[in-house]
Amino acid sequence: MNVYAKNILRFVVIVFLQVLILNRITLHWFPEPAGALFIPAIYPLFILLLPFETPVWVLLLSGFTLGVTIDSFMTTAGMHACATIFMAYLRTNVLNALMPRNLSEYINQQPSIKTMGWMPFLVYSGFLLLIHHLVFFSVESWSAASIGSLLLKIAASFVTSMAFILVYILLFTRQNVARA
Amino acid sequence: MRNFILIIRRFFNLILFVGLEIVCMVLISRSHSLQGDDLVSSANTAVGIIYKKQSDLMYYISLGKMNDSLLNENMRLRKTVDKYKTTDTLQDMKVRRELASTTGDTTHHIVKYADYIYRTARVINNSVDGVNNYITINRGSNEGITKGMSVISGTGLVGRVEYVSAHFASILSILSNKQQVSARLKDGTFKSTTWDYEHPDVFLMKDMPQETNVKKGDSVFTTSFGNTFPADVLIGTVTSVEINKKNGKKQLYLKPATNFRSLQYVYVLENTLGPERQQLEEQAIKK
Repeated sequence: MNVYAKNILRFVVIVFLQVLILNRITLHWFPEPAGALFIPAIYPLFILLLPFETPVWVLLLSGFTLGVTIDSFMTTAGMHACATIFMAYLRTNVLNALMPRNLSEYINQQPSIKTMGWMPFLVYSGFLLLIHHLVFFSVESWSAASIGSLLLKIAASFVTSMAFILVYILLFTRQNVARA
Repeated sequence: MRNFILIIRRFFNLILFVGLEIVCMVLISRSHSLQGDDLVSSANTAVGIIYKKQSDLMYYISLGKMNDSLLNENMRLRKTVDKYKTTDTLQDMKVRRELASTTGDTTHHIVKYADYIYRTARVINNSVDGVNNYITINRGSNEGITKGMSVISGTGLVGRVEYVSAHFASILSILSNKQQVSARLKDGTFKSTTWDYEHPDVFLMKDMPQETNVKKGDSVFTTSFGNTFPADVLIGTVTSVEINKKNGKKQLYLKPATNFRSLQYVYVLENTLGPERQQLEEQAIKK
């Protein structure tokens, strides 16, 4: 499949998963009020899975589009967009630090467990997701008054979102048929 | 000028990043003003359409749950109505000596001749084409169902509990040649209905006296004479009246109020005063 069609399709699938299914799941890990309600986020995965050689400005614009789409569904007016753009901006640097070769050498490949290996991929997605959650929840609360519950919320949401993202990766990665 | 362009090219990504973040911040700060913003909110058309579709889907999926809650609501309302229907106030009968009531009010007393407990149940098996038709429901002796309880649907009479196991019960529906239902017409004529096991949509009332005042469309209700069914439950409506030429008596065709083909939920009624009445009446028959 064409790389553009593939990513547009993934955009639609991830937005619908996030908006129609995951937004219906409200979790709290701790009794109120310390662990206020939160919603697992898998939509940053779209940015994580864009091809290696994507230029930064494309990453930023697609992050903005994705964030605004999620924002208009959740009526959060730019908060998700803010966090997603931050994450998209850092993506290239993180990948450069993790990958042995220059990013332009990986032609027609995307970050995945297959191309990166388990550990680098977990570090890559975990770090960027943590950045995303940090920015999002800080912008959402916009004060340092309840820093303890804020950190607790970030940690709990991060673990849950990471679990959902791993499930998505395991479900939608094509298994190697020849292995058997 | 050249340097300026070079700087822009050098830091293009950073400038774009900062620019987009500023746009986001503007969006966030604008959302706190009273005007709201039309661009990024779930009130805009495209998002609205998707949410509408989702809500339609969820509405359809949760119809079963809604049905159950309505059923329970109906059960509660029926019980409330019954409180007023099944009591017989004898306050106008001056001739009788008044019995002392429990509340100390001696001007009248109230006789209760029935007190029903309603239980809701779901139909899990149903037949309409046998000679005796049975309906299986998902309530049994664990939920307090016993043999002989009467069963009604939201629209009319259904039948009587015949067999009970721990979790299920089998109802002999009134589509049966085993049981006749004592019925009352609008003018007060009593007669029992029969079923000629041909058609689940037709009941008969045979051999009605000729002077019976009955029209097409009249409702037929149960009576409490047989001590099997509660009084005043709709059995059906008269669809046609025929005069038997041999003996000059009327034959009524009824359309049952319950649609037996699409029965999904029923109420099982327990008459708490029923066993006492039955015992008394059997005593009288034995002597």
